[in-house]
Amino acid sequence: MDLQKEKIQEAMQAIAARRSGRNKLVYDKTRKTIVAVSTTDYTTTGLNISAEEADMFLCEIITIPLEYLNNNWKKIADNKILPIILSEWDDGDVYSLSSIGKWPGQKEVYGAIVIGERDIKEYQIVIQLKKTSADQNFDYVSPLGEKFKAISYSNAGKMKGEKIITHIVDVGYEISTRNHGLIETGLLKNSSVLIFGLGTGGVQVAVNLAKCGVGSFYLIDPDRLEIGNICRHLAGISHIGRKKVLVAKDLLLEKNPNIKVYTFPIKVDETNKDKIKEIIKDVDLIICATDNRESKLLINAININVKKIILFSGAFRRAYGGQILRVYPGETACYHCFLLGMPDIETDQEISSDANADEIAYSDMPVPIEPGLAIDVEPIATMTSKLALQELIKGKESTLHILDKDFSANWYFWINRPEPDTKYSAFPPLSESIDEMTILRWYGVFFDKDEACPTCGNYEKALREQYGLEPNESAQPESSSLPPNIKL
Amino acid sequence: MTLVERLNLENQILIRDGMSQYLIKYYQPGNSYYIYGDYASNSGRSYTIWCRIPDYYPNICPPVYVHNPNPLIGFGGVSINSYRTSHRMHTLENDSDGAVQICHWRQSRWHSGITLNKVMIKVMLWFEAFEQHLSTGRDIDYFVSTMK
Repeated sequence: MDLQKEKIQEAMQAIAARRSGRNKLVYDKTRKTIVAVSTTDYTTTGLNISAEEADMFLCEIITIPLEYLNNNWKKIADNKILPIILSEWDDGDVYSLSSIGKWPGQKEVYGAIVIGERDIKEYQIVIQLKKTSADQNFDYVSPLGEKFKAISYSNAGKMKGEKIITHIVDVGYEISTRNHGLIETGLLKNSSVLIFGLGTGGVQVAVNLAKCGVGSFYLIDPDRLEIGNICRHLAGISHIGRKKVLVAKDLLLEKNPNIKVYTFPIKVDETNKDKIKEIIKDVDLIICATDNRESKLLINAININVKKIILFSGAFRRAYGGQILRVYPGETACYHCFLLGMPDIETDQEISSDANADEIAYSDMPVPIEPGLAIDVEPIATMTSKLALQELIKGKESTLHILDKDFSANWYFWINRPEPDTKYSAFPPLSESIDEMTILRWYGVFFDKDEACPTCGNYEKALREQYGLEPNESAQPESSSLPPNIKL
Repeated sequence: MTLVERLNLENQILIRDGMSQYLIKYYQPGNSYYIYGDYASNSGRSYTIWCRIPDYYPNICPPVYVHNPNPLIGFGGVSINSYRTSHRMHTLENDSDGAVQICHWRQSRWHSGITLNKVMIKVMLWFEAFEQHLSTGRDIDYFVSTMK
């Protein structure tokens, strides 16, 4: 390759990476061609080409995670070559290591990482790592401290023989750089969250928290992704029929391949109570995004003794609104207290699945599935994520503590629309109200613990008081044979 | 409260509420608890109910069946058993012997704060509604409102 061609390539790479290089691209009006000149050169016959103008150039980019090179460095150093599989995207515009994320590329191609300048034809893509001296630019520093420049080329396709831009990225660090200043990298790496229910709301909360840097997820849901879920769920139609926990796992790993995800496709019921209790012991925070009272009550009851902070998050019917109850077990109202204190609101929940509809309907009078729109569930998931984040940063340094005082209530509710036949139907229009309650605003309410709650209160005392029974007054059931014609 | 403590207390409440016909019994070979008792309706008819207390009570709703008469014949000679799960008649799936199951509470609306005396009140109301159905031919749901 002649010097001018090399200089053009260097300039293009610098522009594509939005960094200053040694050369810049100029359109030479006299020669009527693109030339690369030193960035310090000034020419009256050339038009400088901006980065935006350069974006129209077709360029291939290869991305390799730094962690992959580090983990495989011994093999690369010993053998001088490491075959790899790359995902090809957009008709060969982009390649990435196939294991970088969870989704396979539109096509897979074979490549190799080699040490030094080796001409290898049997691989479509070859990534050469050339040692550089201390004063030269470098793309990679090996675990032994040697510096390398990465130069890649293609042996096939439309870029055959051409060099390809190579990015070696520190995924663990760089994936969260846009959060810096609010949540530093690694702040939540050791935090763990358990999510019950990976439907529209639950999966959204999971992905939101993964984006914030939460390091471990425990996911519980026995259901599979059905066709009716697709218009609301984060996962698309390619995932139809898959277990929701496994779909969610892939979505999380696609956001951050370094997090740990443990999946449990089990039903929340009495038979799995001990297993659930064991899982809860390992986590910092619980999100309950299931859609039925039975599971919520059971999770609430199990957690009362394990004492983990839990957020009960759910939408009202047809998602006209939603609510979040935060429980500090033993300190604040639990879900059972809420059920007893606000029975109308507790009962008002979306009917998001056949199973959920069957539970509340007679078989001869079905209840239609009325789950509501994703855009109406998402605000509830977002608020749940914010409340979760506030709990997870407790005791850790973050500028987000400025929100602590805003999130001091234990119950939050939100109304998406003035739904007919509800007490919110008469809400004033959003645009005409400042002081009154309206749609699309979160309201935080302090909700008291019920001392007579069967789950977290002294229910026995309450029952005795209600029925005028003395403290030790009870009647042990008599032993008896089974009644006639009764079989257990 | 353990299950035994809870049932001891509930038994006392049943006595206190004058429902000693529905006292909980213990069946030792099966290590299980049940209620088996009669209801004499306002018109003097007699019915027998059978309720096996679930292992996970009070977290699980206890099913209540009409043990006698079985079949339970409704208006016009139609067997109530034939309705199986019915919104109109407030019944759920029949027992293995075909006995009618009274829908007093649905599992989806049940919680551990509900006690057996409350269940028995609903059961007795169901029988009164059934007798209204016998007299008028109207469905049982005409006489009882559906719980939300």
